[in-house]
Amino acid sequence: MLDIAFVKPALPRHGALVLPVAEDAALAGLAQAIDTATGGAVARALAAAGFKGRKGQSCTIWAPSAEAGGPSKVVAVGLGKAGELTAEGAEAAGGAALPLVQGEREAVVAAEGLAAPLAASFALGLALRSYRFDRYRTTEKEDDKPKLERVEIATDAAPAAKSAWAPMRAIADGVFLSRDLVSEPPNVLHPVEMAERCKALEKLGVTVEIFGPKEMKKLGFGALLGVAQGSAQEPRMVVMQWNGASGGKSKKAAGKPVAFLGKGVTFDTGGISIKPAAGMEDMKWDMAGAGTVIGLMAALAGRKAKVDAVGLVGLVENMPGANAQRPGDVVTTASGQTVEVINTDAEGRLVLADVMHYCQERFAPRFMVDLATLTGAIIIALGHEHAGMFANDDELAHRLAAAGKQVGEAVWRMPLGDAYDKQIKSDIADMKNVGGRPGGSITAAQFLQRFVVKKDPPTPWAHLDIAGTAWSSKDLPTVPKGATAFGVRLLDRLVADHYEE
Amino acid sequence: MLKLRLRRTARANVPRALPVVEGDTLPPDAVAAAAAARFTGAAEQSLELRPDGPRLLLIGAGQPATPLDWERVGGRAVAVAGDAERLALDARGLPPVSAAALAAGAALRAWRFGRKREPVKGLATLDLIVDQPKSVAPFWSRASAAVRGALLARELTAEPANHLTTRDFARRLEALAEHGIAVDILGRKRLARHGLGALLAVGGGSANPPRLAVLRWRGTHALPPVAFVGKGLCFDTGGISIKGAAGMEAMRADMAGAAACAGAMLALALRRSPAPAVAVLALAENSTGEASYRPGDVLRTGSGKTVEVVDTDAEGRLVLADALHYAQRFKPRAIIDLATLTGAIVTALGHHRAGLFGNDAALQAKLAAAGEAVGEPLWPMPIGARHREDLKSDIADLKQCLHGRQPDACHAAAFLREFAGEAPWAHLDIAGVGQRGEAALRGPGMPSGFGARLLDALVEREFEDPEP
Repeated sequence: MLDIAFVKPALPRHGALVLPVAEDAALAGLAQAIDTATGGAVARALAAAGFKGRKGQSCTIWAPSAEAGGPSKVVAVGLGKAGELTAEGAEAAGGAALPLVQGEREAVVAAEGLAAPLAASFALGLALRSYRFDRYRTTEKEDDKPKLERVEIATDAAPAAKSAWAPMRAIADGVFLSRDLVSEPPNVLHPVEMAERCKALEKLGVTVEIFGPKEMKKLGFGALLGVAQGSAQEPRMVVMQWNGASGGKSKKAAGKPVAFLGKGVTFDTGGISIKPAAGMEDMKWDMAGAGTVIGLMAALAGRKAKVDAVGLVGLVENMPGANAQRPGDVVTTASGQTVEVINTDAEGRLVLADVMHYCQERFAPRFMVDLATLTGAIIIALGHEHAGMFANDDELAHRLAAAGKQVGEAVWRMPLGDAYDKQIKSDIADMKNVGGRPGGSITAAQFLQRFVVKKDPPTPWAHLDIAGTAWSSKDLPTVPKGATAFGVRLLDRLVADHYEE
Repeated sequence: MLKLRLRRTARANVPRALPVVEGDTLPPDAVAAAAAARFTGAAEQSLELRPDGPRLLLIGAGQPATPLDWERVGGRAVAVAGDAERLALDARGLPPVSAAALAAGAALRAWRFGRKREPVKGLATLDLIVDQPKSVAPFWSRASAAVRGALLARELTAEPANHLTTRDFARRLEALAEHGIAVDILGRKRLARHGLGALLAVGGGSANPPRLAVLRWRGTHALPPVAFVGKGLCFDTGGISIKGAAGMEAMRADMAGAAACAGAMLALALRRSPAPAVAVLALAENSTGEASYRPGDVLRTGSGKTVEVVDTDAEGRLVLADALHYAQRFKPRAIIDLATLTGAIVTALGHHRAGLFGNDAALQAKLAAAGEAVGEPLWPMPIGARHREDLKSDIADLKQCLHGRQPDACHAAAFLREFAGEAPWAHLDIAGVGQRGEAALRGPGMPSGFGARLLDALVEREFEDPEP
């Protein structure tokens, strides 16, 4: 993670100087100072480039000072209209600036014109965009590597900006943890390893319990274990608890927690219903739902959120091994309901079914949100800009949609209903695990809804199908190409807006 | 449509269907049998009694709350009655609006597409038994207008493509003139004069020439019309980007959007709606021929915008682009297009809801509410910024769709938005609901006519105030 500091404004003597500029605004503060120091070269260059401070605009000026001892480059980024700047806008501008300055070791951001929280948001954008997963590059040339290590945010309100930054820093750490997990190759990150990595959260005060096959068998996890049985890698369930509301002290004081559940298929071959070869490597990120939940728990604990939250992830590998489950098998879930496995590649819902049931039995949560790269159908339905949201509770759905809008992780509500539920009727068991191509994401959600076991009133529940948003094939302002950690910020915001004391 | 007689009593030799609301008292002679069969009046239940005389069918009605609930009961009565040619449906004791809904459901369920295999069996005459025929008549008149609209849409959609060419379709639309609808059919020359290059290109590969049909219902209010725009692909082979053979016969129904619009116009005319309306229907056959348009072609649409063709099987959005543009000349208050547009919407929403896109939240909410009221439910879908970006072309103003055979409902909607003009616009992707399984209650496994009643209900609910 970038080293981010908040400092009093002063012109840097080397490195990059970043000028966030509102639309048609005159240069002020450090921007004006550098312009004066360069004899008006900066203003002339911006005018010549047609830079007006519009959203998405940027302009790079190399070595504007004639003499030695000034910044080696000045980068102006547009903020759009000053009155309309939101946190998301400031983040996007920060994210857009990052690639332009990462060749320098240090950069100073002239943020005097930004209110303290927006200055921190600009820093968050820079930080989030700076993520890079380069653990397995051994021959990369020094020149090709990004060099940026330290960013100073120059502001007159340094203490206020710094305190706004503290929780953001924790969230960024959670995002990075999630992106690391999702980026890891599947031979490295199998269920056992992924569970081990959850233990890192103990340092933050999170209680971490790991369940192996024996424990899960005792709990009756027939569906999860059925998926896992074709792999040489043992499955795991990890239960993470953050008791921020009750101060982490007495269990008794703790209220009903909020619960987040994640699908963690560390690699999905499809099993006996094997996938076609093309693009199968993408299936390493079929654990992104679990990766998000782990990153989220780290974010909540890292910023000491005043909430009791539990995170549960079901970790398996779906392989066509000698003992793999077959199409036609009937498995008994922890809830007692039976499932006819029609397609072994619809395994995520089987894993979640058992974890959802366990979560309700043990924690009786205020609400449950599950995340899963569940269906290809959601990509055909919505593309890559929105995750699919299914919910049995309008209030929870509205809150999720609103939180998503604020942090740039948009969700789009999709329908549920009896007509869709009928598609998963089985002739031999309580349900089958696929309902055909039509409405494929909806029938998957109907399947999960059958494991919301408490009725009258049912536990508020939402399911986010993140198959289209967990991985980005191109750079976005605050998300470099690759693992997005979609959901970490969304759910952190949901908690911050509604569920903290 | 079946013949309907409003009567006070059932004729003795005609089977009688009696809807039973759950928990209501049963006729004395049915009590013992109902108890034995555990018939309580719950929805989906039915019980046939033959106490020596003509058949008596008890139809479980559940707890009907809306006219739509009563429609479903009427539909079930017909389904239970089987091959009876005449049926008495007992609506005594019901409010007139419920009685009319019961009959509407029966009429929808009784429809058969039989022209190709006479004689048609099944229900031909319905005796609706009511307390006050005079008070029910106006409600039936209203309900039957919508039913006839929906059945016209079904008739057209069910027709095989060799019997419903573009010319045949146009001819059948011209016949609507007898109901006071002004019909104008634009042939190739006029299409060329208006520069509707997309419609001409899509229809270019077929021996059956493209047409643009314009239906106008003037109404009585001095207001601009509501515009319906329909995709009317009489058959869709996919063209040069030809479809797989399996299931291609279903493509005769690729004109269901245009048929629904025509049905809605008929409904408005039959019930003398005061609201002016216009339907602009793009009729074409997408065929493989020596003059077929090709992937890579650049078309100039009626709006002047140029389009790069990527996949000739994404033709619906092309003909709609020109139809949407042409509809602008009527300066519509709102513009709604219906199309069996994408397979993606079937993957997204299945067969139970149609996709609802648009640029105006209020119009979308009104459509969704109208759909719920008539049992033709919609679900809102997004048009993302990225969907539009994806349509950037290197050679033209925009690409018709993405490369790779993944027709995408959101991209199609983003494409159409470019041609929708200034008025509030909505787009209904009805590819998944043309032959809905659940519609079995109100119509057999044939076209559903989805959209005709929805549009008729929309106009009645939202566009019949004399003041805009």
